[in-house]
Amino acid sequence: MSPTSAPGKAPAGGTAGRRAARPGVHRHPLTRFLVRRVATALLLAVGITLVTFVLTNLVPGDPATANLGQRALGDPALVAQWRAEHGLDEPLPKQYLLHLSGVLQGDLGTSQQSHRPVAEDLAEFVPATIELAGAAIVVSLILGVAFGVIAALRRDRLADQVLRVTSLIGISVPTFWLALVAFYIFFFRLQIAPGSGRLDPGMTPPPKVTGLHTVDAVLAGQWDVFASAAGHLALPALVLALYTIGLLTRFTRSAVLEVLGQDYVRAARAKGLPGRTILFRYVLRSALVPIITVAGLAFGSLLSGTVLVEAIFAWPGIGQYAYKSATALDLPAVMGVGLVVGAVYLVINLIVDVLYGVIDPRVRLS
Amino acid sequence: MATRSRRLATKAALLPVMLTGALALAACSGGGSSTAPASGGAGAGSGAKTLVIDTSFDLKTADPGRTYEPTGLIIGKATYETLLTFDGADVTKPVPALAESYELSGDGKTVTLKLRPGATFSDGSPVTAEDVVFSLNRVRDMKGSPSFLLDGVEVASPGADTVTLTSAKPNPALPYILPNPGLGILNSKVAKANGATADASDKAEKYLNSASAGSGPYMIESFNLTGQVVLKKNTNYWGQNKPVYDKVVLRNVEAATQRLNVQRGDSHVALNLSGDQVANMPATLQVKKTPSANMIFLLNSQNPKISKITSNPKFVEAVRKGVDYKGLLELAGEGSVQAPGVIPSMMLGALPPDAGATRDVEGAKAALKESGLTNPTVKLEYPSELTVNGLSFQPLAERIQANLKEVGITVDLTPAPVTTALDNYRNGKEEMGLWYWGPDYPDPSDYLVFLPGKLVGLRAGWAEGADTALEAEGERVAAIVGDDKRKTAYADLQTKLNAQSPFIPLIQPTQNIVTAASVTGLEYHPVWTVDVADLGAR
Repeated sequence: MSPTSAPGKAPAGGTAGRRAARPGVHRHPLTRFLVRRVATALLLAVGITLVTFVLTNLVPGDPATANLGQRALGDPALVAQWRAEHGLDEPLPKQYLLHLSGVLQGDLGTSQQSHRPVAEDLAEFVPATIELAGAAIVVSLILGVAFGVIAALRRDRLADQVLRVTSLIGISVPTFWLALVAFYIFFFRLQIAPGSGRLDPGMTPPPKVTGLHTVDAVLAGQWDVFASAAGHLALPALVLALYTIGLLTRFTRSAVLEVLGQDYVRAARAKGLPGRTILFRYVLRSALVPIITVAGLAFGSLLSGTVLVEAIFAWPGIGQYAYKSATALDLPAVMGVGLVVGAVYLVINLIVDVLYGVIDPRVRLS
Repeated sequence: MATRSRRLATKAALLPVMLTGALALAACSGGGSSTAPASGGAGAGSGAKTLVIDTSFDLKTADPGRTYEPTGLIIGKATYETLLTFDGADVTKPVPALAESYELSGDGKTVTLKLRPGATFSDGSPVTAEDVVFSLNRVRDMKGSPSFLLDGVEVASPGADTVTLTSAKPNPALPYILPNPGLGILNSKVAKANGATADASDKAEKYLNSASAGSGPYMIESFNLTGQVVLKKNTNYWGQNKPVYDKVVLRNVEAATQRLNVQRGDSHVALNLSGDQVANMPATLQVKKTPSANMIFLLNSQNPKISKITSNPKFVEAVRKGVDYKGLLELAGEGSVQAPGVIPSMMLGALPPDAGATRDVEGAKAALKESGLTNPTVKLEYPSELTVNGLSFQPLAERIQANLKEVGITVDLTPAPVTTALDNYRNGKEEMGLWYWGPDYPDPSDYLVFLPGKLVGLRAGWAEGADTALEAEGERVAAIVGDDKRKTAYADLQTKLNAQSPFIPLIQPTQNIVTAASVTGLEYHPVWTVDVADLGAR
C-alpha cells in the first residue's frame, strides 16, 4: 500500500493526493529542482565535450590523411597549412580548451568536410532527425502503451500472446534489417510506400520555419507538400519505432499487471467505479512512472537507430552527417554531433525527472 | 470486471488500429506521387520534366575551385564550363568548349587558347578572358583540392579573346587537365561580389553552394551535403545542345536502395551498383557496364627496413606470376578488365590488353626459389570498408592469399578502416598493400607518380635513386610533345615498370550504370562519371 494514500484512494491520481502534495511544492519549489538539474546538466555537457574530444583523438588515423587528396598529401607545406587552418597543429590540451571556449561562445568550430560552421550544419540536419525520431517516439508511445494495456487486460489470452510475441520480435529484430525488408516489401513489392528522401523528387520544400517538413508545410498551407512529407515519414518512422513499441508494450504490460493487483484497485472495483475510470485514473497513472523511465531511455535508442534507418531511407539527418563525419575524422563535426545528442539525452532526462514529480507527489516530497 | 476489461481492451485496440491506418494512408498518399518521375519523366507536383539520379554522395562543396570529389565533379560539369572538354567518353583527345581552339607550343610550355565568341553566363553576361584568368588564378592560389592541377602555371590574356597558360617546364598534359570541372570558369563579377578572391582568403564558397555562377546548361537550385542536390535548367544557356530536363535531382542513396529505386521507377539513373546488384535487371532498364579508370594494384615495399621479403626483386616476380588475374576478373564481374599496366585501358599510352601479366605457378615457384626465401610470410594491408565501383577489397585480398599459398607464400590479411589503412599506405609503412589509383586527369603523365622517388613510388619504399635509368626515362617521357610520340613512350615506360617495379597492376573494375528506358545519351566518363547535359529523354 502506498504510504501517502488511504485504502481505496489512488496514490497519485486521486484529488486527495494532489491536495496533499501542494504544500510540498512550497517547501521544495520546482524552480529549485530545475535550477539544480540544469546546473548538473551543464556540468555533464562539459563532460560530454571532454569525452567526445578524447575518444575522437584516440581513434587511429590522421584527419589530414582522411580529408586531403592524394596529391595534396604529397605537399608537406599544404598539409601544414591545412593542419594550421583547423587548429590541429596545437597541443591536444590547448585544442580542447580552444574548442570548449568556442562552444561556450556558441561556436562549435568549422567542419572539415563541409567547410561550414558546424552549428550551421547541425541546424540543417537536426530538424530532419527530430522529425523522424519525434514521429517514431509519438507512434511508440501511443502504440506501445495501448498494446501493453491490452495485453495486461487480456492476460494469457490470445491477444496477450500475440502482442507478447510481436513485441519480442520488435525488440529482437535488428533495425537495419527491418528497414531493408520494410523498404523492399512496402516500397518495391506492394508499391504503397514512397521512395527515398523526405519529399518526392523535384518537389520544393516548404518555407523553413521549424525545419520539420510536415509542420512547415501545414504552416504554409501547402497540403500537397504535407501529404508527400507525411508519406515519406511514415515508413521510416514505423521501422524506427518498432523496437520502442516492443519495449514499451512489455514494460506497460508488467506495470499495469502489477497495479491491477493492488488493494486500491480492488477497492475501486468493489465501489463499482466504471472500468474506464479505474483504468485511466488509477491504473495508468500509477503505471506511468516506469513507462516514462523506459520511454526516456528508448528515445536514446531511437537517436542511435537513426544512423542506419537514415542511410537506408536516404534521410538527410544527423545520423548520416555523423557517419560521414566520423569516417572522415572530421573532429569538430563529430564533437558537435556528440554535444547535440548528449544535450538531447540531458533534456529528455530532465523532462522525465520533472514528469516523475508531476505524476507522483512522493517524488516531490522526497 | 472481465466484461469491462474486454470492452476496454476493444476500445484501447481501436486507437493503434486507427493510428496504423493513418500512417498507412500517409505512406500511400506519398507513394502515388513518387512514381510520377518514372512514368513520364515528370516531376512531382509541378508538371516539369525531372531527372532523378541516385548516387552514394562523396560531396564536400559545389565551389568548382574546391571540388575534387566524384559527386562534386558531376555537379561541376553540369553547372560550369571549362576551356576544353572531351567528346563523350573519349579521353584520348581534348576538344574545344569555351575555347574554340587551342595550340600547344613546340616546347610544350605554352598553351594558347582562343575564346569562343557568344558564350554567356547564366545571367546573360559574356564569358570574357578576364573571367578565365580570374577563375584559373583563383583555383591555383586558393590552395583548394584541385590547386595542384595548375601548379606553376601562369595564366594571362594577351588579347580580349585569347588566354595563354605558361609553365616553366614542358607540360603537354595541360590540354588534358583543362577539362577537369574543378577548372570551371566563374562569372568573376558575380563571384567577386560574393566574396571571391584569387587567394586563400576567398569567402565565396557559401554563395557558390547556394547558387552557381557559371555558363553551364544547369544551375544549382538547392544543395544539401548529405541529402540531395537539385539542379535547374539554365534557360539562358548559350550552347547548341540545350538542357533537356527542367530539373535534375541528385540524391544521396545507398547502393541497395538505388537498385530498388531504379527498378520501381522512383529514379532514372543508379550510379553505384555492383556486379551482383545489376544481375537479372528487368529488360525495361538499360544496364551499361564499362571498365572504370580505377586501377587496383598490389604494392610490395622496397624498403628493407619495412620488409626484407618484399624488397627482394625475385619475390615480387613470384607474386606477379602467382596471381590469378582471370580469377580476380570473375570476382569483379562482367565488364571489368585486367589492367595491362598502371595506365588504364581507355587512356593515351595504355598498353594493349594482351600485355598484362599472366599466371604461371611454376614460374612463380622458380622465382621464389631464386629469391632464397623459404616459406615467406607477408602482411597484406588494405582498407576494409572501401569499395571501388561497388567492389570490396576483401574478396580480392582473399583470392590473392589463396593464389599465393599455391606458390608457397603465406599472406596474412590485415584489413583496417580506411583512415587507419591510409596512414600506413601514405607513410610508406606497408609491407604489401592492396590499393587503387583513380586518375586526377586522363593523361598518362598522371601515372609518373609510380616511379621511384615520386608520390606512389615512395609509398612502396621506392626511393629516388633506386632505379636511375627508369627515373631518367620518366623525365624524358614527361617532356615529350605530340600524341603519337607520347603514346609510344608511355607504353615503353609501362613495359619496364611491369618488369621491374614493385607494383603489380591487377584489374579495372566495371562501372555499372543502370538507367530507365526513357533516358538517352548516357556515357561513363573516367573524370566526371556522367555528363548530365548529355542525358536526353525518349
